[in-house]
Amino acid sequence: MESASVALGGGPHTDEHHEHHGPPTANQSSRVDPQFLGMLLFIISEVMLFGAFFTAYFFIRVAGDNAWPAEGTELPKIIAGINTAVLISSSFTMHWALEGARNENRRALRVGMLTTFLLGLTFLCVQINEYVHIGFAPSDNAQGSIFYGLTGLHGAHVFVGLTLLAMGTIRAYRGHFSAKDHQGIEIPGIYWHFVDVMWIVVYATVYIL
Amino acid sequence: MLNPLRSEREAFRFLLYVAVAFGLLVAVVLLARAL
Repeated sequence: MESASVALGGGPHTDEHHEHHGPPTANQSSRVDPQFLGMLLFIISEVMLFGAFFTAYFFIRVAGDNAWPAEGTELPKIIAGINTAVLISSSFTMHWALEGARNENRRALRVGMLTTFLLGLTFLCVQINEYVHIGFAPSDNAQGSIFYGLTGLHGAHVFVGLTLLAMGTIRAYRGHFSAKDHQGIEIPGIYWHFVDVMWIVVYATVYIL
Repeated sequence: MLNPLRSEREAFRFLLYVAVAFGLLVAVVLLARAL
């Protein structure tokens, strides 16, 4: 038992450092802030992932010279347009919530976070409803595969964003975050705006153009 | 220089720029198709 505690670094000689909890501080070889570097690498990888799907889309539509959408099918531009407005407005409420945190306005923080979450949830529900009524499946043709692939990939990102927003909203209602300490919603905020930027590209290329 | 990954404020500004840019792009393409 004693050897096990020594092997784990829990010997009596560590008692003098008892106030330290958790893993040791990570070595930082880069001059870039770790949180910033993590988000940078994550979003770069996400851009490449979306880029792969857009490449398939442009290949089918431009190089393959196929009709878009496939003949006999129609995309609900108006409903998707309204849904786009819902998602873009959620970025405004997200920004409002962050400004509330920066200015110690707790009401703006809480209402902003909750509204952002509800608008994001509305977007996802409308998207699911669109899938139910759209009238074609991913297996019907290449256009269907790309449509579901691109919008589904984005929907998965909205789901991840909603999970982060839910945690941020709960923490906001529990009294967390202040003008100096709000990184727990700053990083999800950057992610949420990225998700909205990607939707603008998806909506413009897949639905409108 | 605008870096959308540095802060939420810059990410929000970037979103607005993208929205305006794609709005203009869509308008130009639709106009060109209509003519």
